[in-house]
Amino acid sequence: MSRVFITGLGFVSCIGNDAITVTCNLRELRHGFELFPPFQRDDIPCKVAGPVRDFFTDSPDPEDWTFPARYKIKRELLRSMAPNGLYAHCAMLQAIDDAHLTEPDISNADTGLYAASGGSLFLTHYFRERFLKVGVMRCSPMGIVQSIVGTLNFNLVAAFKILGASCGFSSACASSAHAIGYAFDDIALGRQKRMFVIGAEDGNFDAIMPFAGMRTLSLQTDPNIASRPFDAARDGFVGTGGATVLVLENEEEIVRRGVKPYAEILGWGQASDGYNVAISHPEGSGSAASMNNALRASRVAPGDVDYVNAHATSTLIGDVSEARALRAVFKQSAERPAVSSTKALTGHGLSLAGAMESAFCALALREGFIPGNAHLTRVDPECGGLNIPRTTENRAANIVIKNSSGFGGANVALVFRRV
Amino acid sequence: MPETAVTSLPGTNKPLSATPKPFAPEDEVALREALKRCSPSTFEAAVQFRKTGNAEHVPAVVIGIIERFVEPDLRMKLKDADDDLRLIEDLGVDSLTMMEIVILVEDVLMMTINNDELRNLRTVGDVKTFIDCKIRGLPLPKPTKFIPIEHIGAVMPMQPPFLFLNEASVSSTSANGKYKISGQEYFLQGHFKDNPVMPASIMLEALGQLAVLYLLEGVPTEPGKVVSPQTIFFTGCEGVRAHRVCRPGDILTLSIKPKRMKMPLATFEGSIRVGPEKAVIAEEITLTYAFVDAVISPVPISGVAQSDVINGAQAAPAPTPLRAAINA
Repeated sequence: MSRVFITGLGFVSCIGNDAITVTCNLRELRHGFELFPPFQRDDIPCKVAGPVRDFFTDSPDPEDWTFPARYKIKRELLRSMAPNGLYAHCAMLQAIDDAHLTEPDISNADTGLYAASGGSLFLTHYFRERFLKVGVMRCSPMGIVQSIVGTLNFNLVAAFKILGASCGFSSACASSAHAIGYAFDDIALGRQKRMFVIGAEDGNFDAIMPFAGMRTLSLQTDPNIASRPFDAARDGFVGTGGATVLVLENEEEIVRRGVKPYAEILGWGQASDGYNVAISHPEGSGSAASMNNALRASRVAPGDVDYVNAHATSTLIGDVSEARALRAVFKQSAERPAVSSTKALTGHGLSLAGAMESAFCALALREGFIPGNAHLTRVDPECGGLNIPRTTENRAANIVIKNSSGFGGANVALVFRRV
Repeated sequence: MPETAVTSLPGTNKPLSATPKPFAPEDEVALREALKRCSPSTFEAAVQFRKTGNAEHVPAVVIGIIERFVEPDLRMKLKDADDDLRLIEDLGVDSLTMMEIVILVEDVLMMTINNDELRNLRTVGDVKTFIDCKIRGLPLPKPTKFIPIEHIGAVMPMQPPFLFLNEASVSSTSANGKYKISGQEYFLQGHFKDNPVMPASIMLEALGQLAVLYLLEGVPTEPGKVVSPQTIFFTGCEGVRAHRVCRPGDILTLSIKPKRMKMPLATFEGSIRVGPEKAVIAEEITLTYAFVDAVISPVPISGVAQSDVINGAQAAPAPTPLRAAINA
């Protein structure tokens, strides 16, 4: 079995569009929320979101978009992208640069790409409007590849001339964590030497608002307290978008290329609730099973875990379910690992969440800190019995777990180690 | 058919409507939005076309739309392009970009283009001619036909060793061909002593042969009629100039375009190049020709078969000299 390392990161997020800014905001617990202009209407009770800055993708026509000038993208590539494709393309360029990869390192049979986004409801809705208005024959020939759930992998594989394994993952908010898990497997089993893993979401009106009907969005009007996982007064999640890219490589490659990895991935596990299409299992059974599977696969004892980056989205049911799962896994030592949800800073990135928060763990492992759980005033008694630090701890964790859960009760846990 | 029909019937090539809807201010707004990434002159031409229905404005609109979809560094090619500029090879237009062009052209010129009509559009000239025919409600031109040496030998009245075309393509507006001077041509033994040079008269003959091929393969005929190879003869030429000495090994690139077609006379302009260099210019080459009744026969499957039927006597296997020409 090959060992697997994280060697490059790229970010377009509401808390920064590069690793340095993101690290700084994570450490200092600065959130990326604002009163989101598209939500400021009387008929919309939800007001706050975590939009990405410096990218303007309001138009359905990619040629209208503006983005930082350091990214040069040809029309030929841009025309088939959704907003999340643009974010991912830019994050990809950062990650390639960060990992010091050359063109031959990227385009070869041993390098693959796994991606996850929810597609683009924004463009899907726009194309349906065009369907009805101008007829099916005058809809954009890019309509499908631009909007359906695979749009990220279609675009990135073509743009970066990927020749190895490629596919998309669709398990809602566990999608990009699944992508990391399977990318790990491909490298560990010797099928690939290097994998790009990408999570991305549009994070705009059409991506976030469908959750209003489920009553899962926070209705807070103060951006400073809208997202507060594990807090007794939490009232739902805050939506966000953007993209995160991770470069995963085997040991042979990091030695050959002489690069210093962020962290090692020790293993992963998954399990399902088998319970409800959208509601987490009240006891967190699937989440607990996924953590146990991950620890067993990684040969790590629960007592050796220093930090858990929780899935906790700041919803009423979800956070309690995960807290119960954590207590079940860590038992007597439940107070040992620090537990925090960085969604207090970013909000919930849906398909992006697993990749973004795994990248946060990689930053924390390399920089030697444990991000606190921001905006926590009074811990919900249902979430008690855990060590949830309110502020960032300036100590290096050795073993970290990243939890992700998605609709249908899909649960993934990833285990990272400091190098 | 209702008088208010706005678009053509699918699969037909009827003009949009006898009396187009007046061009309203909101149409201009929509047009400006649709062409916002095209040059101002493209927009102006589109407005003029929509107001007047005058097809003269169509080429400017079509070229302006193609230009908008071509990568900026390739746009220069389009500026001083002739109609032979190829969409895929020269402009990097892939089939998805072609669809983007088609959808915008449809939208701006208010027409419908069918999938099967698209396949034959290879050059800028093909696109301009095609759209012009659609707008005017004329029959669509035949697509450019690539004619291999076997077929040239089968349809032409000239035969080796007096056939100076290795390959040719014919459309309704032009014909292009190639001939490689092999050095084995019998007349080079005497033209000149120890100094083989392709005679200018033979190069003019080669252009004439390409014009003959155009008459046989490219000229639109009446139903039931074909041009008879036995009726084609040279009548005259004007403004013939030789610019370059051509020798064995040179590949002659020949092209002709019809200038006037009025039975029984057809006048062409022609030129020969070797690579980028001008070799021969002929301002006018005039041939006579005549139609005869087509032989009634079952509908053939391929173009080659069709010609074999028309020129029944020549359907036999190619004679030996022709094989030599194939290898030239």
